[in-house]
Amino acid sequence: MIVTDGFWYSIFIIVRFYMVKLPQIQRGKIYILLATLSWLALLLVNLIRIFGEVNQMEGLISKEITWILEILFFIWLYIFFNDAINKNENRNFIDFIWRAASTGLMATGTSFLIIFFYYLLDDSRLSKDPLLKNFFYHVNFAVASIFLISTALSWKYLILYQRSKAIVQQWQAYEVILLISMFFVLIYQESFNYGFMFGLIFLIIYGVILSINLKWIPYLTFKEKWKSILFLVIIISCTVFLFLRLVAYSQQNIHFVNLSENLFLLGLFVFVLIYAVFSSLVTLFNLPTSSVFEQKLTEAISFQKLSQSIKPGENEEQVLDILMDSCMSAAYVDAGWLEIFPTEPEESSKIHLQKFISNSERQEIMELLKKTAPFSAYLSNPSIERTEYLYGQIPHEVYKSVLIVSVWANKNILGNIFLLKEVKSGFNNEMINIISTFTGQTSISIENYRLLNEAIKNERYKEELEIAQRVQRSLLPSELHHNNCFEIDGFSAAADEVGGDYYETYQFDKENFALIIGDVSGKGTSAAFNMSQMKGVFHSLVQLNLQPKNFLTKANNALSRCLEKNNFITTTYYTINTLSKQINFARAGHCPTLYYSVENGCSRFLNIKGMGLGIVRNNGFEQYLEEGQLQYQPGDIMVMYTDGIVEAKNNENSEFGYDNLKQLLDRFSALSAVEIRKKIIEEVYDFVGRESLPDDDYSILVIKFKA
Amino acid sequence: MLSINKTAKENHLTISLKGEVDASNSVELDEVIQEALDAKSKYILVDGNELEYISSAGLGVFMSYLEDFQENQITFIIYGLNEKVMNVFHILGLDQLITIKSTKEEAEKSLDEA
Repeated sequence: MIVTDGFWYSIFIIVRFYMVKLPQIQRGKIYILLATLSWLALLLVNLIRIFGEVNQMEGLISKEITWILEILFFIWLYIFFNDAINKNENRNFIDFIWRAASTGLMATGTSFLIIFFYYLLDDSRLSKDPLLKNFFYHVNFAVASIFLISTALSWKYLILYQRSKAIVQQWQAYEVILLISMFFVLIYQESFNYGFMFGLIFLIIYGVILSINLKWIPYLTFKEKWKSILFLVIIISCTVFLFLRLVAYSQQNIHFVNLSENLFLLGLFVFVLIYAVFSSLVTLFNLPTSSVFEQKLTEAISFQKLSQSIKPGENEEQVLDILMDSCMSAAYVDAGWLEIFPTEPEESSKIHLQKFISNSERQEIMELLKKTAPFSAYLSNPSIERTEYLYGQIPHEVYKSVLIVSVWANKNILGNIFLLKEVKSGFNNEMINIISTFTGQTSISIENYRLLNEAIKNERYKEELEIAQRVQRSLLPSELHHNNCFEIDGFSAAADEVGGDYYETYQFDKENFALIIGDVSGKGTSAAFNMSQMKGVFHSLVQLNLQPKNFLTKANNALSRCLEKNNFITTTYYTINTLSKQINFARAGHCPTLYYSVENGCSRFLNIKGMGLGIVRNNGFEQYLEEGQLQYQPGDIMVMYTDGIVEAKNNENSEFGYDNLKQLLDRFSALSAVEIRKKIIEEVYDFVGRESLPDDDYSILVIKFKA
Repeated sequence: MLSINKTAKENHLTISLKGEVDASNSVELDEVIQEALDAKSKYILVDGNELEYISSAGLGVFMSYLEDFQENQITFIIYGLNEKVMNVFHILGLDQLITIKSTKEEAEKSLDEA
């Protein structure tokens, strides 16, 4: 016996080893082959034994061989079907159930054929032959096993559809139990002892526990549920029939090897039957509620569609479209429309997506609504109080209940959805909830879409501002022209990103220079643009090497045509000749230049008469100007600045002032131009208490004469 | 912060300015002067006693009406400016274009002489 055990076992191992290397399709064929071989071997062994029994030959072949062959047959079948089902995981539930039902029909059919065959044989001698009977018994046994194992594995797929750790462990434990039950027959050879009964009851209970995993049922559509009930009834009938057949065989025969008293087979009968019964009952009782589940699925899909962001190129209309569709199907409405309030005050509301109702009927209903409470109050003042929805009855022949839902975006009401039903109290809490959820999600989508558009616009504004900044930076000179006779240093800062201060230098030749400092009224982008016009005017006129008063007169002429009505520009224009050490200048309304004279040992403001550019836009301008002239000495200092410096305010709201500036220059007169500039700016910051002046643009230009 | 008061006397209109004129409220000043023009006042006085500060925007308002005053032969006098504000007008040169007096009495006397 041990030899035979070992023999089969080693064959098993060798074959299994080769199995691993072979591809899927080949594997299936090999399993089937092995199963067939096992069955044939089983058949042969049993026929030989029966032949021996009939002819009173004892102990030819032991019963253990039969059991082992039976176990092998089960194992190969199990592996084959397990593989086959894993390959086809993408089929849907109905296919699995049909597969099981068709296998059952095939098995039952075969069984019927055998019965028919015996019916034909009637009472002939052949019909009494025990060998033939046993042959057909083995056939019945084979088809029953195929049916049970394949159906049990179909059930496995259904149970494990919603995988959780617990369920997977449950099933794996069941497989182990089934395996043990296969070998049970080897241990307890007599049937119906206590061990057997205990094992059977245990399998029944475990089968029941597994059979409550029916989570695949709600996913079937209504039609599919009917089909599966049909298939399951077929499966139940086949199972019962095959079981009875096998029992009948064991009762009829004398010389007989009872294959069916295997705990494994009985366990499978129980499992397949219980699961089929549970499934069919649960499916039957789920029929009335299946529409609710389908409805929930549709709602979830609608919700997902609504929450998708509105893509570029689309607009709000499409989302509102989806919203209307979703709301109408969620509540099974009979009619509805969407009213969108106008964005411009002149236009009237637009009606969109009107379904199942004519224009005249709609107007009729609107009239009725305006007269019926609670709608009347709401419709006259839609945006006063934020009402999410309103529903109630109306006295109309056709439509009895109305639901109005308001659609909002960014605290503005976009419009109202009107939904009508022909029954009274047609809108229950569930429907209203889901519609509110849809509408809320739509509001979010629309808000996001609008915010995104605004953000894009803001990005554009920022970009344009950056361009203006670049322009403004280009207004200020990159280098300050000078020669060895004087030092020059400048500094400028704008209040906003762009400002209206301007200064520049120009070199005529080795000894002759022009200087200009200016301040445009106002701040920001418009000031910067005006300033760039000033720069243009400077660059054109400076080439003519005019006297300062003439220069400013011509500049005033040019700018009078360019500047806006309320705008003016203040500026001071200087020409410096380092050979003759002469400075000529004229002041067009600008802050008076601060001049430190070494000879006097102190500084003073150069207060000559002046008039801002663009104030007098006619020939009378020139008379308001005075021209100044200076001889400078080495060590003299000229400070040009804009009003941002002297008007800088501290915490007590007092200004920095002209006197402070004068005193500073007196104090720092010995320093270089750069240092003087730095010191003055430092002092201003100290005074203000921070490192920038927020209210105005400010600029300063310091010139120190050396020789 | 700016508050503007209009008072009509026998032969002239007085506009009193209190506070600061800057870009945010210069349009109010503009409106008041425009109303005065529309009402065909020939004599307009501006009381600047409580005027703390005026920005280039405010100055621009005055400047933009100079031509209108001239064309319609309107007498326009500002009085009572403090030293700082006076300085601003002076530096810009507006004091050469607009009559500025120190006190109300002087201003009213000029009116009589006009």
